[in-house]
Amino acid sequence: MEAGFLDLQGKKIVVAGACGGMGKALSAMLAQGGAQVIALDLNEEALVQLCQQLNGEGHCYRVCDFGHIEGIEPVIDDIIKQCGPVDGFVHCAGTGEVRPLKMSKYPYMVDVMNVNFFSFVEIVRCLTKRKAFNPGMSIVGVSSIGAFYGAPTKVAYTSSKAAMNAAVKCMAVELGGKGIRVNAVAPGATNTSMRRQYESYAQDTDSYKINAIRQFLGVCEPEDIANSIAFLLSDKARMITGTCLTVDGGKMST
Amino acid sequence: MTNEEKLHMIEDVLELDENTLTPEMVLADIEEYDSMSKLSLIVMIDDECHKKLTGEQLREFVTVQDVLDFME
Repeated sequence: MEAGFLDLQGKKIVVAGACGGMGKALSAMLAQGGAQVIALDLNEEALVQLCQQLNGEGHCYRVCDFGHIEGIEPVIDDIIKQCGPVDGFVHCAGTGEVRPLKMSKYPYMVDVMNVNFFSFVEIVRCLTKRKAFNPGMSIVGVSSIGAFYGAPTKVAYTSSKAAMNAAVKCMAVELGGKGIRVNAVAPGATNTSMRRQYESYAQDTDSYKINAIRQFLGVCEPEDIANSIAFLLSDKARMITGTCLTVDGGKMST
Repeated sequence: MTNEEKLHMIEDVLELDENTLTPEMVLADIEEYDSMSKLSLIVMIDDECHKKLTGEQLREFVTVQDVLDFME
């Protein structure tokens, strides 16, 4: 990424799920572009390691359990108290391995919805309170193209992403008056540990084989997704809100 | 967990009637052992036995006994 073009210099960006494949690539890119990364994740050891590896100064982290929604507000309040108002938020936290419908019982559905959707809404709620954000704040949720079409074994995951897409549109309208933009990015198949796990389980299924052909530009790298997120975080995207940008190697066009 | 209990759990995942499976049965000969049931088996073993079964390990299973052994 050319730091000068997107001009993220000095922006304070909260990254939820910063230690996952996508979160790591994004955090590195934002730091490279001069932003201050406030990393959230469950694993403190991984957070420490991440912050040590990021370019530049001022990066910090908070341990956050995205499955425990009631515990999120104190974490965000502490960030605002210690770091001041923020300029952006990206929700990369995600769970939802392959699971056939007959095995998708209510506790599992709730876990997936908590991590993938309710934590997103809760963090946005907390970060858009008065004095918690700077003018021109940009919010990006990492969704999935799975939200747009049916796939076996993905009821929980794709439902949570479809919920995020709907919430993004409503948030964009509701927060527009505060000058806050809200968008989603919907990756296709991306080379992350979640993808590799899915591949290990599902590579013999017809659905996997068909989807692999449909994504005719190939599998995305985490950096491909991070590029689009960085753009939406930047002021270059100042007229874009309430949308879902697909980064899917052409999959949704077939 | 007894072998009988484990067999019942596998039968449940494969949507078979109780007491239809025996340890020596070859998985490939079981009509209900399709790709979706294989995924369900992975999930069940994770949930009930707290053991991660990879796709590669699953492909190496030949008989029902192999599944039972992994569930130990």
